[in-house]
Amino acid sequence: MAVQTVRLTLEGVRASQGSWSITAQGTFGEGLHLVSGDVGSGKSTLGLLMAGLSAPSSGQVTRDGISSVMVSFQFPEYHITGTSVREECESWGLDPATILSSVGLEACSERDPFSLSRGELKRLHLACVLSRGYDLLILDEPFSSLDVVEKHRICNILSHRSRGITILFSHEQTIFPRVDHIWEIREGRLRYCGSPPESFSNWQHVPPIIQRLVDAGKTPANISADDLKEAAWRT
Amino acid sequence: MIHIAELHYRALAIESLTIEPGVTAIIGANGSGKTSLLKVCAGIALTEAGTILIEGKGPRQSAIGWVNEFPDRNFLFDTVSDEIASALRFQHLPPEVIAIRTEEILHRFGLAGLSGRSVRELSGGEKVLVALAAAMILTPRVLILDECDSHLDARSMAKIDEIILRSGIPYILRSTQDMETAAGSNRVVFLENGRARFSGTPVTVFSGLEETLFYPMTWRCRL
Repeated sequence: MAVQTVRLTLEGVRASQGSWSITAQGTFGEGLHLVSGDVGSGKSTLGLLMAGLSAPSSGQVTRDGISSVMVSFQFPEYHITGTSVREECESWGLDPATILSSVGLEACSERDPFSLSRGELKRLHLACVLSRGYDLLILDEPFSSLDVVEKHRICNILSHRSRGITILFSHEQTIFPRVDHIWEIREGRLRYCGSPPESFSNWQHVPPIIQRLVDAGKTPANISADDLKEAAWRT
Repeated sequence: MIHIAELHYRALAIESLTIEPGVTAIIGANGSGKTSLLKVCAGIALTEAGTILIEGKGPRQSAIGWVNEFPDRNFLFDTVSDEIASALRFQHLPPEVIAIRTEEILHRFGLAGLSGRSVRELSGGEKVLVALAAAMILTPRVLILDECDSHLDARSMAKIDEIILRSGIPYILRSTQDMETAAGSNRVVFLENGRARFSGTPVTVFSGLEETLFYPMTWRCRL
């Protein structure tokens, strides 16, 4: 049986709102893609277009071989449908006990999801999202509100995600998963920077910690915490 | 000095904590009590037991500026200039004084071009600037920022840092999940399960956290 390949293609895509606009062109294959860009650059707009939740003003978005799509919004409360934490897990078709123990929220099962702290709610939401495989998974700022321990844990999960296209939109500056491709939004346009480590020289949003390692002649192989440490301690 | 003693509020239980003038970063895991601590210091919430004294006065007797983590939750009014002027209006200052001070702060923050715009139409970075201007117009003794860097990019954050560091406000308390930001502050308080486990200079506090993921990545990489 032929293995169905998944591919997301953006052809001459343009989205605009008043005087603001973003254009995008490119092909996203299987693997983990990081898209960096400033607040207001159009990361969320692009994510919605890719998922098919909104239509571009012009151009074409094609999803080949993609039968399941998931979008994780930056603000986790947009996703809440259950009136208790337990119901929220069940609404995703998941076993509450398994999910809650994976994020240390066992004691919160009967609480109103909105009574959790923002970080706890984000943790719960990501656990629900990441417990399934999707052909196309779009994560819009998954690290905002998370503490560093949780950021590292999520990065570790993402680094080991084996199938489908995962697109990670983030302005995070320090803690990343190991990624296959780096893109950035610059001057209203999506640009492909390449795969690490070659991509670093084309990456205008390259985080200061990576730039400093490169400048010190210690270019990391990739951008995860382990890669940065390995590069820093290399003799 | 800000003196905290025998403090109890929700999950927070702090026996004794002194906050010196300067920029203090409040760090800790999700749910460790960072927002609770900031709320009682701001007087937004009252403690269940214990005392907080800011230069000898309670939080509600002190001038305090507050910036929420979520840019949209800071706003009461529609336009940028109405939002920024609101604290002065609530004090019933004469309209001429309000106009002059609002104009002055709009220029200082580079917001003059946005004064008539609706706050809803602003970018995330602009929203935080407006919230900061509204919090600073009364020149508070204490400025409190609750993870306002969480939804901002590095460029917007650098601008905000520049403004708060030059503000001359004696106490700046900010919670953050960015350990590089914490490492660059004057003091750090590390909360764990509602308790102030470490407090002091970044070097002192992070030396107690070297075995954890809280240790700043740039320090770990010896940069």
